[in-house]
Amino acid sequence: MQLVNRGEGRLFLSPLVIFLLLFLGFPAIVNLVYSISTVTFETLRAPELSGYGNYLDVLSDRYFWQASWFSLRFGIITALAECLIGLFLAIFLNPLLGKRPYLMAPLMLPLMVAPAMVGLMYRLVLHEFAGPVPYYLWMWFGDSPAFLDADNAFRTLVVIETLQWTPFAFLLFHTAYSAIPSDVREAAALDGARGWTLLTKIELPLIKPTLIIAFFIRFIDGFRVFDNIYALTGAGAGGSTTSLSIYIYQAFFKQGAIGKAVAASVVLFIASLVVLYALTALGSRRKEKTR
Amino acid sequence: MMRTLRWIVFAVAAIAMNFPVIVTLITSFKSAREISSNAGLWINAPTLSNYLSVLTDTTRFNIWLYLFNSTMAALIGTLLAMALTFPAAYAIARSETGRRVLFPMVVNLRAVPLIIFAIPLYMMYQWLGLLDTRVGLGLILTIVNIPLALVIFVNAIADVPVELDEAAKVDGASTLATLRRVIWPVVRPAMLTSFIFGFITAWNEFLFGLMLTTSKAVPMTVGASFFFAASGGGVNWGTASAVMIIGALPPAVIGLMMYKQIFGSMTAGAVKG
Repeated sequence: MQLVNRGEGRLFLSPLVIFLLLFLGFPAIVNLVYSISTVTFETLRAPELSGYGNYLDVLSDRYFWQASWFSLRFGIITALAECLIGLFLAIFLNPLLGKRPYLMAPLMLPLMVAPAMVGLMYRLVLHEFAGPVPYYLWMWFGDSPAFLDADNAFRTLVVIETLQWTPFAFLLFHTAYSAIPSDVREAAALDGARGWTLLTKIELPLIKPTLIIAFFIRFIDGFRVFDNIYALTGAGAGGSTTSLSIYIYQAFFKQGAIGKAVAASVVLFIASLVVLYALTALGSRRKEKTR
Repeated sequence: MMRTLRWIVFAVAAIAMNFPVIVTLITSFKSAREISSNAGLWINAPTLSNYLSVLTDTTRFNIWLYLFNSTMAALIGTLLAMALTFPAAYAIARSETGRRVLFPMVVNLRAVPLIIFAIPLYMMYQWLGLLDTRVGLGLILTIVNIPLALVIFVNAIADVPVELDEAAKVDGASTLATLRRVIWPVVRPAMLTSFIFGFITAWNEFLFGLMLTTSKAVPMTVGASFFFAASGGGVNWGTASAVMIIGALPPAVIGLMMYKQIFGSMTAGAVKG
């Protein structure tokens, strides 16, 4: 039976499609046009087409590459750390959490707090006079590092991001790990697989799809990071904490370099399409394998 | 032995992950004098004065406005996203229309850095007069919420047996009536999930709040950072902490109350998306 005919289907989709065209399609076109124009805040309505100069500007800007490198490194390192710690917690704490689901609450709480808020909170946590971390470090060791100066900021931000988002990876792994059917484990146990062998030969391969997905989600979110860094450092520390998102934001709002900001947006868009394409290709290959 | 070790690991993880919240909560109950003399994790003389001054001194602090803005914008952003995606999800789940192109495109939106669209949206808002309005902020939060709402609804509707729709059709119900009378009641739990999730996401959003609002429509996440804009003197850590706790409270409370619902959908949305 035809439940939804073609016309009805289109009708049902149309509100969403119109909204997306208006709020994403239109901006995408504006981006493309502006990225090949000479434009200032005064000539916003009448941009003058001028070719690919903006792209040259961006691609020859040292800070653009610095920001790209920051985002890439930040995304990979935090995603790796979050997945590794999350996996460890999911497996190690499984006997504890299985019987006491309420213990999940404190492990999920960080996901509910706005990253921008967390960034602000760390201003307090790490503050040299008001913050407990420097306070105790001074008390116990007589010294405390400058967590947010150019040398340390990257490491500090990695730790902060990891602490906030490890729960996400943990949650995914916990669900996937708990969902392994018990007869699989029993069969493996009959064949003499236990402990480490059971884990590496049976359980990890079974949850591998979740591992990959969690890594990609966390990488993408780390790559486009904005909120907590902006709230914590204001992207200071000599540009050492400028992510690509922050680079674009600053080019537009702080320097008024509209063309540059827009061209960088287009470059970032293309980069994310490439990543998405790779992800999808990976996903479909996996599906074929399991078939 | 192993059990003890598990408890220790759990405690360490829980404390480390929630450390900023714990510190802020403690500091919010300290007097200014105590903060300057004792930055540690204990309080000698707990006080509510920070909360009182933040909530009552409306000439100095705009916290009620920020709370109101966040609530309104998050409500618009959540409800509109649900309204737009629910019929679309039905078409996607029950027909070929939209499944091949629209669905993956919308789901992948989650992976696109939204800053890409931020600049043209800023200009668009300037032309339309939507800058610094709650409606304008709500419309953007809708975009943020659409991918997950669509995934949740498509999954939920796909789980409903087709026989239900067919029976309704046989009885002469139109598609719209089927959607309203048959599907809607069955997927209500998914509605709740989508709402909770969307509301938390929208409440916590920062980038667009920072860009598109300046004073009248400033949401809590952005407003909280104003308390750090030290004008001359230093930051008043007591009041700033109280503000951060108040701002983080609504999503945390909703999330913890509903964590079972969120639990399933967060993983479903992530894995199937």
